Amino acid sequence: MMLTIKDLQASVEEKTIIKGLNLTINPGEVHAIMGPNGAGKSTLGYVLSGREGYEVESGSIQFENQDLLEMEVDERARAGIFLAFQYPVEIPGVSNMEFMKESVNAARKERGEEPLSAAEFLKTAKAACKQVNLPLDFLKRGVNEGFSGGEKKRNEIMQMILLQPKLCILDESDSGLDIDALKVVADGVNSQRDGERSFLVVTHYQRLLDYIQPDYVHILADGKIVKSGGPELAKEVEVSGYAWLEGHEEASA
Amino acid sequence: MSQWLAKVIDRASTVKDSLSPVRQTALATLSEQSWPTRRTEAWRYTSLHEVAELELQQPSANANAEAPVIAGLNSIDLVFVDAQPVTDIAKLTLPAGVSINALNDADSQASRVFNQAKPSHHLFGLVNDVLAQQGLVVDVAAGAQVEQPIRIVNFVTDGVESHHRVLVNVGDNAKVTVIEHGAGNGHSMNTAYAEYVLGKESKLEHYRFAMHGENAIHMGGSHFKMGESSRLNSTIVGYGSRLTRIDTDVIHAAEHAFAKMNCIYLLAPKEHFDLHTTIEHAKPNGTSEENARGIVGDKAKAVFNGRIHIHRDAQKTLAELNNRNLLLSRGGQINTKPELEIYADDVQCAHGATVAEIAEKELYYLQTRGIPRSQALVMLNFGFVQELVNQMPNKALSEWLQPLLRERFSAMETK
Repeated sequence: MMLTIKDLQASVEEKTIIKGLNLTINPGEVHAIMGPNGAGKSTLGYVLSGREGYEVESGSIQFENQDLLEMEVDERARAGIFLAFQYPVEIPGVSNMEFMKESVNAARKERGEEPLSAAEFLKTAKAACKQVNLPLDFLKRGVNEGFSGGEKKRNEIMQMILLQPKLCILDESDSGLDIDALKVVADGVNSQRDGERSFLVVTHYQRLLDYIQPDYVHILADGKIVKSGGPELAKEVEVSGYAWLEGHEEASA
Repeated sequence: MSQWLAKVIDRASTVKDSLSPVRQTALATLSEQSWPTRRTEAWRYTSLHEVAELELQQPSANANAEAPVIAGLNSIDLVFVDAQPVTDIAKLTLPAGVSINALNDADSQASRVFNQAKPSHHLFGLVNDVLAQQGLVVDVAAGAQVEQPIRIVNFVTDGVESHHRVLVNVGDNAKVTVIEHGAGNGHSMNTAYAEYVLGKESKLEHYRFAMHGENAIHMGGSHFKMGESSRLNSTIVGYGSRLTRIDTDVIHAAEHAFAKMNCIYLLAPKEHFDLHTTIEHAKPNGTSEENARGIVGDKAKAVFNGRIHIHRDAQKTLAELNNRNLLLSRGGQINTKPELEIYADDVQCAHGATVAEIAEKELYYLQTRGIPRSQALVMLNFGFVQELVNQMPNKALSEWLQPLLRERFSAMETK
C-alpha cells in the first residue's frame, strides 16, 4: 500500500471540511479526485502535505507504513510526498536554481546519497527545464517570481521531475491553462508514470483526464467520497456536471 | 553628564600629541554636551544607560592577532587589537602612491583630514576626537590607481574600552578600496570612526563590517566628504551586538559627486542596532542612492534613521533612499524613519520604508519541497539581502561573506 486514508475528518479555522474520507492508493496507480467547488479537494492536498492550520480531528493516514500525521511538512516531502500547488507562491530573492538544488539535495541526503555538485545539478535541471518547455533563464529567476499562471504550473511539474517523489498530488494543475500548456503538464506527468510512482490528480474538470488517464475516479462532495469508479465516471461528470450530487445525497440520507 | 563621560573629559586632558590643537576644539564642544536621554531626538530609540556606568580597563600594549584570511582578496592588512597596532607599518610593501602612517605619528598630517568629514554633533565621535590616539592616516596620491584593497581590522577583547580613528585622503583622480572590519565578542566598549576626504574625480570603494558579538558595545561612524565628480561605493554590514550605533555622513561638498551606499543589518535575538545615515547635498548636480535592509530576530531592536538634506543651492540633485526590514518574530522591534529636508525646487528625491514579517506561506512552500524549516528560514533571509550582497563590487569579499551570513542567520533564528 502506498497511501491509506481512514475515516479522515479535518478542519480549517474550526470549520470541518473533510468529513469521513476513505481512500487507498497502491503503487503505480493514478487516482483522480473530482468534485464541485468547496467539496474539500484542495484541503485534502494540504492535509496530506501537513500544512499548518489544517487540523486533523480524527482518522488516520498511513504512507508506506508510516504514520503520516506524526511527520513535519519537510519530513513528508523527503519521505516522497509531492504536492503540486494550484497557486504556487512567489519568493523573490531566492533563485529557482538554488531552491531546487537545496530540495533535491535534501531528498538525496534522506536516501543516504551524496549531494549533487553545482555542475551536476545544473545538467539535470536544464534537462527538466527543457522537458516542461520553460526557457533556461527561468532557473536563474526568483522562485515563481513574475511567472505567468501556466509557467508556475510547469515549474511545479519541473520540480516533481527533479525530486522523483513516490506520491504526486496535483492540485488543479490544469486550472488556467490553455490546451498547449495543459499538454505540456500532462506529458510531464505521464513521463513520470513508471508503474511504481502513484498519482492523486485533483481536478474540477474532466479535461485534464483526457491527457492523464486515471485508473480510478472518485467524486468528492461535502468532505466525503460519494462515488468511485473507473475513467468512465469522469465522462459522466462531463456530461451531467455535479448537479446530480444533491439528488445523490438526498437518496443516501 | 554621566559618570562615564566625566571620566572621558578628565582623561582627555592627559592626551598630548600632534593632534592636540584640533582635539581642544572637540573637547570644548564635548564639555558642553548633556548626556542623551530618550528625549534626545538622535537617541530616541537607543538607551545609553549601560554606557553611562561603564567601568572598563584601558587596552594593554602587547596585543597579538591575525586578520582573517579572505581567499582572493590580496589586501594590505593593518591589524589592531583594542585599537592597539599589531602590524608594523614600516615592514609593509605599499603600492605606488600610497602612504600609511600611524595616527600618533607626528608626520602623518592627520590634521588635514581630522574632522573634515565628520560633523561635530556625534557625541561618541567627539569622545573619539579627544581620546583616540591610535589608528591610521592613509594618503593616496593624486592619480594613483590602487588595485590592492587596504584592510583595517580591529578586534575588541573582554573588559576593555578602546578608541580607534582612521583618516583617509584620496587624491584627485585617485582610486582606492578601503575595508574597515571590526570584530570581537568580549564584554567591551569601543568607538571607531573613519573619515574620508575624496578629491576631484576620485573613486572610493568602501566597506565597513561591524561584526561585534552579543557582549560588545560598539559606537562608530564612517564619514565622507565628496569632491567634485568623485564617486563613492560603500557597503556596510552590521551585526546587532549588545549595542551598536553607527552614524554615517556623506557630504556633497562639490558638484557632480555620486554616492552609493548599501547597508545590511542583522540582529540576533535581544541585540540592538542603530544606524543613522545623513546625506548632505550642499552643491548642485549630486546623486545619492541608499539602500538599507535589516533582518531582526526575536526581542531584538533595530533603529534606522535616514536623513537626506538638500540645501537651497543643490539644484538638479537626484536622491533615493530605501529601507526595508524583515521581522523574524513578533517580539522584534523596528523603528525606521526617513527624514527628508528639501530646500531646492528642481530636484528628484524618492524614499520608502517597509517592515514585513517572515511569510509563513513561503516557509511552507519550501518545506513541501523537503527543505527543513530552519534551512528554509536561512534561505528566505538570504533572499532578503542577497541583492545588496551581489552588488558588492569586490567578489572576493562577497564570497567570504556568504558563509558568515549563513552562520549569522542560524544564530538569528528563535530556537
